[in-house]
Amino acid sequence: MKASDFLYHRPESVPQVLGLLRDYAGGARILAGGQSLMPMMNLRLWRPAALIDIGRIPDLERLEQKGDVTILGPRFPYWRIENDRVIAERLPLLARMVRKVGDRQVRNRGTIGGSLVQADPTGEMPLGTLILGATIHAESIRGRRAIPVEQYFLGSYATAIEPDEMLVAVEYPRHPAYFSFAEVNRRHNDFAVVSVAVAGDRAADGTWHNLRIGLGGVDETPVLALAAMRRGEGTLLQAPDIAQMGILAAEHIDPPDDFRASADYRRHLTRVHLTRVLGSMLASAGFREE
Amino acid sequence: MSDSSNQIEICFEINGRQVTQTVPVRMHAADFLRHQIGLTGTHLGCEQGICGMCTISVDDRPVKSCLMLAVQLDGAKVRTVESLAPDETELHPLQAAFKRHHALQCGFCTPGFLMLARSFAGRRMNRAEIAEEISGVLCRCTGYEGILRAIEEWLPGTWTDASLSDEAGQ
Ligand SMILES: Cc1cc2nc3c(=O)[nH]c(=O)nc-3n(C[C@H](O)[C@H](O)[C@H](O)COP(=O)(O)OP(=O)(O)OC[C@H]3O[C@@H](n4cnc5c(N)ncnc54)[C@H](O)[C@@H]3O)c2cc1C
Ligand code: FES
Ligand code: FES
Repeated sequence: MKASDFLYHRPESVPQVLGLLRDYAGGARILAGGQSLMPMMNLRLWRPAALIDIGRIPDLERLEQKGDVTILGPRFPYWRIENDRVIAERLPLLARMVRKVGDRQVRNRGTIGGSLVQADPTGEMPLGTLILGATIHAESIRGRRAIPVEQYFLGSYATAIEPDEMLVAVEYPRHPAYFSFAEVNRRHNDFAVVSVAVAGDRAADGTWHNLRIGLGGVDETPVLALAAMRRGEGTLLQAPDIAQMGILAAEHIDPPDDFRASADYRRHLTRVHLTRVLGSMLASAGFREE
Repeated sequence: MSDSSNQIEICFEINGRQVTQTVPVRMHAADFLRHQIGLTGTHLGCEQGICGMCTISVDDRPVKSCLMLAVQLDGAKVRTVESLAPDETELHPLQAAFKRHHALQCGFCTPGFLMLARSFAGRRMNRAEIAEEISGVLCRCTGYEGILRAIEEWLPGTWTDASLSDEAGQ
Protein backbone atom coordinates (compact mmCIF):
# COMPACT_ATOMS: atom_id res chain seq x y z
CA MET A 1 0.00 0.00 0.00
CA LYS A 2 0.97 3.65 -0.16
CA ALA A 3 1.18 6.24 2.59
CA SER A 4 -1.73 8.66 2.84
CA ASP A 5 -0.95 12.31 2.20
CA PHE A 6 0.86 14.50 4.69
CA LEU A 7 2.73 17.78 4.86
CA TYR A 8 6.48 17.54 4.71
CA HIS A 9 8.92 19.73 6.61
CA ARG A 10 12.68 19.63 6.53
CA PRO A 11 13.82 22.02 9.24
CA GLU A 12 17.43 22.99 9.60
CA SER A 13 17.66 23.23 13.37
CA VAL A 14 16.32 21.64 16.53
CA PRO A 15 14.43 24.81 17.62
CA GLN A 16 12.57 24.69 14.29
CA VAL A 17 11.63 21.06 14.96
CA LEU A 18 10.34 21.97 18.41
CA GLY A 19 8.27 24.82 16.98
CA LEU A 20 6.69 22.51 14.41
CA LEU A 21 5.97 19.85 17.04
CA ARG A 22 4.17 22.46 19.11
CA ASP A 23 2.23 23.84 16.13
CA TYR A 24 0.95 20.42 15.10
CA ALA A 25 0.01 19.54 18.69
CA GLY A 26 0.61 15.81 18.35
CA GLY A 27 -0.37 15.55 14.68
CA ALA A 28 3.20 15.47 13.35
CA ARG A 29 5.87 12.82 13.55
CA ILE A 30 9.61 13.09 13.30
CA LEU A 31 11.15 11.17 10.40
CA ALA A 32 14.58 9.78 11.32
CA GLY A 33 15.71 6.54 9.61
CA GLY A 34 12.15 5.71 8.58
CA GLN A 35 12.66 1.99 9.27
CA SER A 36 9.61 1.81 11.54
CA LEU A 37 7.76 4.93 10.47
CA MET A 38 7.67 4.16 6.74
CA PRO A 39 6.30 0.60 7.07
CA MET A 40 3.61 1.89 9.44
CA MET A 41 2.69 4.65 7.00
CA ASN A 42 2.79 2.41 3.92
CA LEU A 43 0.42 0.06 5.74
CA ARG A 44 -1.72 3.08 6.73
CA LEU A 45 -1.55 2.05 10.35
CA TRP A 46 -0.30 5.57 10.92
CA ARG A 47 -1.55 8.65 9.07
CA PRO A 48 0.32 11.62 10.53
CA ALA A 49 -0.76 15.06 9.32
CA ALA A 50 2.86 16.02 8.85
CA LEU A 51 6.37 14.60 8.84
CA ILE A 52 9.30 16.51 10.22
CA ASP A 53 12.40 15.19 8.47
CA ILE A 54 15.41 15.65 10.77
CA GLY A 55 17.76 14.18 8.17
CA ARG A 56 19.45 17.46 7.30
CA ILE A 57 19.95 18.95 10.72
CA PRO A 58 23.69 19.14 11.33
CA ASP A 59 25.26 17.57 14.40
CA LEU A 60 22.53 15.06 15.23
CA GLU A 61 24.92 12.17 14.47
CA ARG A 62 27.44 13.30 17.05
CA LEU A 63 29.37 11.09 19.44
CA GLU A 64 30.70 12.86 22.53
CA GLN A 65 33.10 11.49 25.12
CA LYS A 66 33.15 13.10 28.55
CA GLY A 67 35.32 11.06 30.86
CA ASP A 68 33.51 7.74 31.27
CA VAL A 69 30.30 9.12 29.79
CA THR A 70 29.42 8.62 26.12
CA ILE A 71 26.69 10.72 24.49
CA LEU A 72 25.03 9.82 21.21
CA GLY A 73 23.05 12.23 19.07
CA PRO A 74 19.51 11.11 18.16
CA ARG A 75 20.38 10.30 14.55
CA PHE A 76 23.47 8.24 15.43
CA PRO A 77 23.01 5.38 12.95
CA TYR A 78 22.98 1.65 13.64
CA TRP A 79 25.76 1.07 11.13
CA ARG A 80 28.08 3.29 13.13
CA ILE A 81 27.17 1.55 16.38
CA GLU A 82 28.16 -1.62 14.55
CA ASN A 83 31.45 -0.38 13.09
CA ASP A 84 32.72 2.62 15.03
CA ARG A 85 35.95 1.99 16.94
CA VAL A 86 34.98 4.37 19.74
CA ILE A 87 31.68 2.53 20.24
CA ALA A 88 33.51 -0.84 20.20
CA GLU A 89 35.66 0.45 23.05
CA ARG A 90 33.15 2.43 25.07
CA LEU A 91 29.78 0.74 24.44
CA PRO A 92 30.70 -2.80 23.35
CA LEU A 93 27.37 -4.25 24.48
CA LEU A 94 25.52 -2.05 21.98
CA ALA A 95 27.98 -2.95 19.22
CA ARG A 96 27.34 -6.63 19.90
CA MET A 97 23.56 -6.29 20.13
CA VAL A 98 23.06 -4.09 17.07
CA ARG A 99 24.14 -6.92 14.78
CA LYS A 100 20.85 -8.57 15.65
CA VAL A 101 18.78 -5.60 14.48
CA GLY A 102 17.07 -6.23 11.15
CA ASP A 103 19.36 -6.63 8.18
CA ARG A 104 22.09 -4.68 6.42
CA GLN A 105 19.72 -2.27 4.70
CA VAL A 106 17.76 -1.60 7.90
CA ARG A 107 21.00 -0.94 9.80
CA ASN A 108 22.12 1.45 7.08
CA ARG A 109 19.14 3.74 7.81
CA GLY A 110 17.92 3.08 11.37
CA THR A 111 19.01 5.35 14.22
CA ILE A 112 19.42 5.10 17.99
CA GLY A 113 16.86 7.85 18.58
CA GLY A 114 14.28 6.25 16.30
CA SER A 115 14.66 2.87 17.92
CA LEU A 116 14.32 4.30 21.45
CA VAL A 117 11.19 6.29 20.55
CA GLN A 118 9.74 3.32 18.68
CA ALA A 119 10.35 1.24 21.85
CA ASP A 120 9.67 -2.15 20.40
CA PRO A 121 9.36 -4.55 23.38
CA THR A 122 11.80 -6.89 21.63
CA GLY A 123 14.14 -4.16 20.38
CA GLU A 124 17.85 -4.63 20.92
CA MET A 125 18.79 -0.98 21.45
CA PRO A 126 16.02 -0.40 24.00
CA LEU A 127 17.25 -3.44 25.98
CA GLY A 128 20.93 -2.46 25.70
CA THR A 129 20.16 1.11 26.73
CA LEU A 130 18.19 -0.13 29.76
CA ILE A 131 21.03 -2.42 30.87
CA LEU A 132 23.59 0.33 30.54
CA GLY A 133 21.50 2.66 32.71
CA ALA A 134 21.42 5.51 30.21
CA THR A 135 19.73 8.88 30.52
CA ILE A 136 17.42 9.99 27.71
CA HIS A 137 17.41 13.72 26.99
CA ALA A 138 14.20 15.16 25.58
CA GLU A 139 13.47 18.70 24.53
CA SER A 140 10.37 20.70 23.70
CA ILE A 141 9.46 24.33 23.48
CA ARG A 142 8.71 24.01 27.20
CA GLY A 143 12.31 23.10 27.98
CA ARG A 144 14.73 20.24 28.26
CA ARG A 145 14.59 17.30 30.66
CA ALA A 146 16.61 14.20 31.47
CA ILE A 147 14.73 10.92 31.81
CA PRO A 148 16.44 7.98 33.56
CA VAL A 149 16.00 4.94 31.31
CA GLU A 150 14.31 3.02 34.14
CA GLN A 151 11.44 5.53 33.88
CA TYR A 152 11.50 5.87 30.12
CA PHE A 153 9.73 2.80 28.70
CA LEU A 154 6.05 2.98 29.64
CA GLY A 155 4.54 0.16 27.61
CA SER A 156 4.49 -1.59 24.29
CA TYR A 157 5.72 1.06 21.82
CA ALA A 158 5.11 3.73 24.47
CA THR A 159 7.69 5.96 26.12
CA ALA A 160 7.91 8.99 28.39
CA ILE A 161 8.54 11.21 25.34
CA GLU A 162 5.59 13.59 24.98
CA PRO A 163 4.07 14.34 21.55
CA ASP A 164 5.69 17.79 21.50
CA GLU A 165 9.10 16.47 22.54
CA MET A 166 12.11 15.43 20.54
CA LEU A 167 14.67 12.94 21.80
CA VAL A 168 17.86 14.99 21.51
CA ALA A 169 20.56 12.82 23.11
CA VAL A 170 21.24 9.50 24.82
CA GLU A 171 23.79 9.61 27.59
CA TYR A 172 25.51 6.38 28.60
CA PRO A 173 27.44 6.19 31.89
CA ARG A 174 30.59 4.11 32.26
CA HIS A 175 30.14 0.72 30.62
CA PRO A 176 30.68 -2.25 32.97
CA ALA A 177 33.81 -4.27 32.27
CA TYR A 178 32.02 -7.48 31.31
CA PHE A 179 28.85 -8.28 29.40
CA SER A 180 27.13 -10.98 27.40
CA PHE A 181 24.06 -11.21 25.22
CA ALA A 182 21.90 -13.88 23.60
CA GLU A 183 18.66 -13.83 21.72
CA VAL A 184 16.26 -16.41 20.33
CA ASN A 185 14.61 -15.76 16.97
CA ARG A 186 12.21 -17.86 14.95
CA ARG A 187 13.74 -16.70 11.69
CA HIS A 188 17.14 -15.21 10.96
CA ASN A 189 17.12 -11.53 12.00
CA ASP A 190 13.46 -11.60 12.95
CA PHE A 191 12.31 -9.70 16.02
CA ALA A 192 13.43 -11.55 19.15
CA VAL A 193 11.23 -14.10 20.90
CA VAL A 194 13.32 -13.61 24.02
CA SER A 195 16.56 -11.73 24.48
CA VAL A 196 18.81 -11.67 27.50
CA ALA A 197 21.68 -9.29 28.20
CA VAL A 198 23.90 -9.03 31.26
CA ALA A 199 26.68 -6.71 32.34
CA GLY A 200 28.76 -6.29 35.46
CA ASP A 201 32.11 -5.62 37.08
CA ARG A 202 34.29 -8.13 38.86
CA ALA A 203 36.32 -7.20 41.93
CA ALA A 204 39.84 -8.48 42.63
CA ASP A 205 38.41 -11.08 45.02
CA GLY A 206 36.25 -12.49 42.23
CA THR A 207 32.92 -11.14 43.45
CA TRP A 208 30.54 -9.48 40.96
CA HIS A 209 29.18 -5.96 41.34
CA ASN A 210 26.94 -3.50 39.51
CA LEU A 211 25.24 -6.50 37.97
CA ARG A 212 22.61 -5.59 35.40
CA ILE A 213 20.35 -8.21 33.89
CA GLY A 214 17.84 -7.27 31.22
CA LEU A 215 15.18 -9.24 29.36
CA GLY A 216 13.50 -8.42 26.07
CA GLY A 217 10.34 -9.93 24.61
CA VAL A 218 8.98 -11.05 27.99
CA ASP A 219 6.83 -8.02 28.78
CA GLU A 220 5.43 -4.82 27.25
CA THR A 221 8.85 -3.19 27.62
CA PRO A 222 12.38 -4.42 28.12
CA VAL A 223 12.71 -5.20 31.83
CA LEU A 224 15.42 -5.51 34.43
CA ALA A 225 15.40 -8.87 36.24
CA LEU A 226 15.63 -7.19 39.62
CA ALA A 227 15.26 -10.31 41.80
CA ALA A 228 18.01 -12.07 39.86
CA MET A 229 20.22 -8.98 39.99
CA ARG A 230 19.89 -8.80 43.78
CA ARG A 231 20.58 -12.52 44.09
CA GLY A 232 23.80 -12.26 42.08
CA GLU A 233 25.17 -8.99 43.45
CA GLY A 234 28.34 -9.52 45.47
CA THR A 235 28.51 -13.27 44.80
CA LEU A 236 31.15 -15.21 42.88
CA LEU A 237 28.45 -16.23 40.37
CA GLN A 238 29.08 -19.86 41.07
CA ALA A 239 26.93 -22.55 39.50
CA PRO A 240 24.29 -22.56 42.30
CA ASP A 241 24.07 -18.75 42.19
CA ILE A 242 23.52 -18.79 38.46
CA ALA A 243 20.95 -21.58 38.62
CA GLN A 244 18.94 -19.68 41.22
CA MET A 245 19.18 -16.45 39.27
CA GLY A 246 17.74 -18.21 36.24
CA ILE A 247 14.82 -19.50 38.28
CA LEU A 248 14.19 -16.09 39.89
CA ALA A 249 14.23 -14.32 36.53
CA ALA A 250 11.73 -16.79 35.05
CA GLU A 251 9.46 -16.56 38.12
CA HIS A 252 9.25 -12.77 38.09
CA ILE A 253 8.09 -12.28 34.52
CA ASP A 254 4.66 -12.42 32.98
CA PRO A 255 5.50 -13.06 29.33
CA PRO A 256 3.03 -12.81 26.44
CA ASP A 257 1.41 -15.79 24.78
CA ASP A 258 1.47 -15.17 21.04
CA PHE A 259 2.16 -16.66 17.63
CA ARG A 260 5.91 -16.48 18.19
CA ALA A 261 5.94 -18.46 21.43
CA SER A 262 3.82 -19.45 24.41
CA ALA A 263 4.30 -17.79 27.79
CA ASP A 264 5.66 -21.03 29.24
CA TYR A 265 8.16 -21.41 26.48
CA ARG A 266 9.33 -17.81 26.96
CA ARG A 267 9.78 -18.47 30.67
CA HIS A 268 11.78 -21.59 29.86
CA LEU A 269 13.94 -19.68 27.36
CA THR A 270 14.55 -16.93 29.90
CA ARG A 271 15.87 -19.35 32.49
CA VAL A 272 18.03 -21.31 30.07
CA HIS A 273 19.50 -18.30 28.31
CA LEU A 274 20.11 -16.29 31.44
CA THR A 275 22.18 -19.14 32.88
CA ARG A 276 24.06 -19.37 29.59
CA VAL A 277 24.84 -15.66 29.22
CA LEU A 278 25.94 -15.46 32.84
CA GLY A 279 28.22 -18.41 32.13
CA SER A 280 29.66 -16.75 29.08
CA MET A 281 30.16 -13.43 30.91
CA LEU A 282 32.05 -15.36 33.57
CA ALA A 283 34.14 -17.10 30.94
CA SER A 284 34.93 -13.73 29.31
CA ALA A 285 36.31 -12.60 32.69
CA GLY A 286 38.68 -15.59 32.55
CA PHE A 287 37.58 -16.68 36.01
CA ARG A 288 39.22 -20.08 35.71
CA GLU A 289 42.72 -18.67 35.80
CA GLU A 290 42.52 -17.18 39.26
CA MET B 1 14.24 24.47 2.01
CA SER B 2 11.96 24.12 4.97
CA ASP B 3 8.54 24.92 3.56
CA SER B 4 5.86 22.31 3.35
CA SER B 5 3.79 21.70 0.28
CA ASN B 6 2.60 18.48 -1.21
CA GLN B 7 4.94 18.64 -4.19
CA ILE B 8 8.60 19.33 -3.79
CA GLU B 9 11.40 19.83 -6.25
CA ILE B 10 14.41 17.60 -5.71
CA CYS B 11 17.77 17.43 -7.42
CA PHE B 12 19.87 14.27 -7.22
CA GLU B 13 22.30 12.09 -9.12
CA ILE B 14 20.93 8.89 -10.61
CA ASN B 15 23.31 6.39 -12.21
CA GLY B 16 25.77 9.13 -13.05
CA ARG B 17 23.39 11.79 -14.36
CA GLN B 18 22.00 14.80 -12.56
CA VAL B 19 18.20 15.02 -12.44
CA THR B 20 15.78 17.68 -11.18
CA GLN B 21 12.15 16.62 -10.70
CA THR B 22 9.06 17.64 -8.80
CA VAL B 23 7.72 14.84 -6.60
CA PRO B 24 4.63 14.33 -4.46
CA VAL B 25 5.86 14.19 -0.86
CA ARG B 26 3.95 11.00 -0.07
CA MET B 27 5.61 9.04 -2.89
CA HIS B 28 8.27 6.54 -1.81
CA ALA B 29 11.58 6.38 -3.59
CA ALA B 30 10.92 3.07 -5.37
CA ASP B 31 7.68 4.30 -6.98
CA PHE B 32 9.43 7.50 -7.94
CA LEU B 33 12.32 5.69 -9.64
CA ARG B 34 9.96 3.34 -11.45
CA HIS B 35 7.14 5.67 -12.48
CA GLN B 36 8.74 9.08 -12.75
CA ILE B 37 12.31 8.26 -13.76
CA GLY B 38 11.29 5.18 -15.75
CA LEU B 39 13.85 2.87 -14.14
CA THR B 40 11.77 -0.26 -13.63
CA GLY B 41 14.69 -2.50 -12.67
CA THR B 42 14.00 -1.71 -9.01
CA HIS B 43 11.21 -4.06 -7.99
CA LEU B 44 8.56 -3.86 -5.30
CA GLY B 45 7.29 -6.77 -3.25
CA CYS B 46 5.97 -5.92 0.18
CA GLU B 47 6.38 -2.14 0.53
CA GLN B 48 6.93 -2.65 4.23
CA GLY B 49 10.64 -3.29 4.41
CA ILE B 50 10.66 -7.08 4.61
CA CYS B 51 11.45 -8.51 1.18
CA GLY B 52 14.37 -6.37 -0.06
CA MET B 53 13.20 -6.36 -3.71
CA CYS B 54 13.50 -2.56 -3.75
CA THR B 55 17.14 -2.43 -2.58
CA ILE B 56 19.11 0.39 -4.21
CA SER B 57 22.30 2.22 -3.34
CA VAL B 58 22.00 5.68 -1.78
CA ASP B 59 25.27 7.49 -1.08
CA ASP B 60 27.07 4.16 -1.47
CA ARG B 61 24.94 2.25 1.04
CA PRO B 62 22.33 -0.35 0.16
CA VAL B 63 18.91 0.66 1.46
CA LYS B 64 15.29 -0.34 0.90
CA SER B 65 13.77 2.27 -1.36
CA CYS B 66 10.19 1.54 -0.27
CA LEU B 67 11.21 2.84 3.18
CA MET B 68 12.51 6.15 1.86
CA LEU B 69 10.53 9.05 0.55
CA ALA B 70 11.45 10.34 -2.87
CA VAL B 71 12.08 13.74 -1.28
CA GLN B 72 14.78 12.15 0.85
CA LEU B 73 16.78 11.49 -2.31
CA ASP B 74 17.34 15.24 -2.67
CA GLY B 75 21.08 15.81 -2.98
CA ALA B 76 21.91 12.09 -2.88
CA LYS B 77 23.93 9.87 -5.17
CA VAL B 78 21.64 7.04 -6.21
CA ARG B 79 22.49 3.81 -8.02
CA THR B 80 19.97 1.27 -9.31
CA VAL B 81 20.46 -2.08 -11.00
CA GLU B 82 20.51 -0.23 -14.33
CA SER B 83 23.91 1.20 -13.36
CA LEU B 84 25.64 -2.19 -13.42
CA ALA B 85 25.95 -3.40 -17.03
CA PRO B 86 28.24 -1.20 -19.15
CA ASP B 87 26.00 -1.58 -22.23
CA GLU B 88 23.20 -3.61 -23.80
CA THR B 89 25.44 -6.53 -24.69
CA GLU B 90 27.83 -6.84 -21.78
CA LEU B 91 27.06 -7.89 -18.22
CA HIS B 92 28.67 -6.54 -15.07
CA PRO B 93 31.01 -9.20 -13.58
CA LEU B 94 28.58 -9.71 -10.70
CA GLN B 95 25.70 -10.25 -13.13
CA ALA B 96 27.86 -12.64 -15.16
CA ALA B 97 28.60 -14.63 -12.00
CA PHE B 98 24.85 -14.78 -11.23
CA LYS B 99 24.26 -16.12 -14.72
CA ARG B 100 27.01 -18.75 -14.50
CA HIS B 101 25.80 -20.04 -11.14
CA HIS B 102 22.08 -20.07 -11.92
CA ALA B 103 21.61 -17.55 -9.13
CA LEU B 104 18.19 -16.66 -10.54
CA GLN B 105 15.12 -18.44 -11.80
CA CYS B 106 12.22 -16.01 -12.11
CA GLY B 107 14.64 -13.13 -11.55
CA PHE B 108 12.26 -10.99 -9.54
CA CYS B 109 14.65 -10.77 -6.58
CA THR B 110 17.80 -10.35 -8.68
CA PRO B 111 18.01 -6.52 -8.75
CA GLY B 112 17.82 -6.50 -4.95
CA PHE B 113 20.57 -9.10 -4.55
CA LEU B 114 22.77 -7.40 -7.14
CA MET B 115 22.53 -3.98 -5.51
CA LEU B 116 23.15 -5.45 -2.06
CA ALA B 117 26.06 -7.67 -3.16
CA ARG B 118 27.61 -4.85 -5.18
CA SER B 119 28.21 -3.04 -1.89
CA PHE B 120 30.44 -5.91 -0.69
CA ALA B 121 33.12 -5.02 -3.27
CA GLY B 122 36.56 -4.95 -1.70
CA ARG B 123 35.54 -6.87 1.42
CA ARG B 124 36.82 -10.27 2.43
CA MET B 125 33.89 -12.37 3.54
CA ASN B 126 33.43 -16.06 4.14
CA ARG B 127 30.29 -17.91 3.15
CA ALA B 128 28.64 -17.49 6.54
CA GLU B 129 29.28 -13.76 6.45
CA ILE B 130 27.86 -13.46 2.95
CA ALA B 131 24.76 -15.41 4.01
CA GLU B 132 24.34 -13.08 6.99
CA GLU B 133 24.76 -9.95 4.87
CA ILE B 134 22.23 -11.00 2.22
CA SER B 135 19.52 -11.88 4.74
CA GLY B 136 17.67 -8.66 3.87
CA VAL B 137 16.64 -9.87 0.41
CA LEU B 138 14.33 -12.85 -0.01
CA CYS B 139 14.32 -15.35 -2.87
CA ARG B 140 11.43 -17.75 -3.33
CA CYS B 141 12.99 -19.73 -6.20
CA THR B 142 16.66 -20.57 -5.91
CA GLY B 143 17.23 -21.72 -2.35
CA TYR B 144 20.09 -19.16 -2.18
CA GLU B 145 22.84 -21.67 -3.00
CA GLY B 146 23.55 -20.27 -6.46
CA ILE B 147 23.40 -16.72 -5.13
CA LEU B 148 26.00 -17.51 -2.47
CA ARG B 149 28.25 -19.24 -5.03
CA ALA B 150 27.98 -16.32 -7.47
CA ILE B 151 28.91 -13.75 -4.82
CA GLU B 152 31.74 -15.95 -3.51
CA GLU B 153 33.18 -16.25 -7.00
CA TRP B 154 32.85 -12.55 -7.86
CA LEU B 155 34.20 -11.11 -4.60
CA PRO B 156 37.96 -11.86 -4.95
CA GLY B 157 37.99 -10.02 -8.28
CA THR B 158 37.05 -6.85 -6.39
CA TRP B 159 40.03 -6.96 -4.04
CA THR B 160 42.33 -4.17 -5.08
CA ASP B 161 45.60 -3.29 -3.38
CA ALA B 162 43.74 -0.63 -1.41
CA SER B 163 41.07 -3.02 -0.19
CA LEU B 164 43.68 -5.62 0.81
CA SER B 165 45.22 -3.15 3.22
CA ASP B 166 41.82 -2.17 4.61
CA GLU B 167 39.87 -5.31 5.27
CA ALA B 168 37.39 -3.72 7.63
CA GLY B 169 35.28 -1.88 5.03
CA GLN B 170 31.55 -1.58 5.29
C1 LIG C 1 12.80 -5.51 8.02
C2 LIG C 1 12.94 -4.84 9.35
C3 LIG C 1 13.46 -5.56 10.42
C4 LIG C 1 13.64 -4.96 11.65
N1 LIG C 1 14.17 -5.71 12.65
C5 LIG C 1 14.37 -5.15 13.86
C6 LIG C 1 14.97 -5.90 14.91
O1 LIG C 1 15.32 -7.08 14.76
N2 LIG C 1 15.14 -5.27 16.10
C7 LIG C 1 14.79 -3.96 16.30
O2 LIG C 1 15.00 -3.45 17.38
N3 LIG C 1 14.21 -3.24 15.33
C8 LIG C 1 14.00 -3.79 14.11
N4 LIG C 1 13.42 -3.03 13.11
C9 LIG C 1 13.00 -1.63 13.40
C10 LIG C 1 14.21 -0.70 13.28
O3 LIG C 1 15.04 -0.92 14.37
C11 LIG C 1 13.86 0.80 13.19
O4 LIG C 1 14.93 1.41 12.54
C12 LIG C 1 13.79 1.56 14.46
O5 LIG C 1 12.81 0.94 15.27
C13 LIG C 1 13.39 3.00 14.19
O6 LIG C 1 14.51 3.85 13.97
P1 LIG C 1 14.45 4.88 12.76
O7 LIG C 1 15.62 5.79 12.90
O8 LIG C 1 14.32 4.15 11.50
O9 LIG C 1 13.16 5.73 13.15
P2 LIG C 1 11.85 6.13 12.33
O10 LIG C 1 11.22 4.96 11.69
O11 LIG C 1 12.15 7.30 11.49
O12 LIG C 1 10.97 6.62 13.56
C14 LIG C 1 10.41 5.69 14.49
C15 LIG C 1 9.54 6.46 15.49
O13 LIG C 1 10.34 7.30 16.32
C16 LIG C 1 9.98 8.68 16.16
N5 LIG C 1 11.24 9.41 16.22
C17 LIG C 1 12.39 9.14 15.51
N6 LIG C 1 13.38 9.93 15.92
C18 LIG C 1 12.88 10.72 16.93
C19 LIG C 1 13.44 11.73 17.77
N7 LIG C 1 14.74 12.09 17.68
N8 LIG C 1 12.63 12.32 18.68
C20 LIG C 1 11.32 11.96 18.78
N9 LIG C 1 10.74 11.01 18.02
C21 LIG C 1 11.52 10.39 17.10
C22 LIG C 1 9.25 8.74 14.85
O14 LIG C 1 8.39 9.83 14.80
C23 LIG C 1 8.54 7.41 14.83
O15 LIG C 1 7.39 7.47 15.63
C24 LIG C 1 13.26 -3.59 11.85
C25 LIG C 1 12.75 -2.85 10.79
C26 LIG C 1 12.58 -3.46 9.54
C27 LIG C 1 12.03 -2.66 8.41
S1 FES D 1 9.33 -3.74 -1.39
FE1 FES D 1 10.80 -2.73 -0.18
S2 FES D 1 11.38 -4.27 1.18
FE2 FES D 1 9.75 -5.23 0.11
S1 FES E 1 14.73 -16.00 -8.56
FE1 FES E 1 12.61 -15.96 -8.21
S2 FES E 1 12.50 -14.97 -6.30
FE2 FES E 1 14.60 -15.21 -6.53
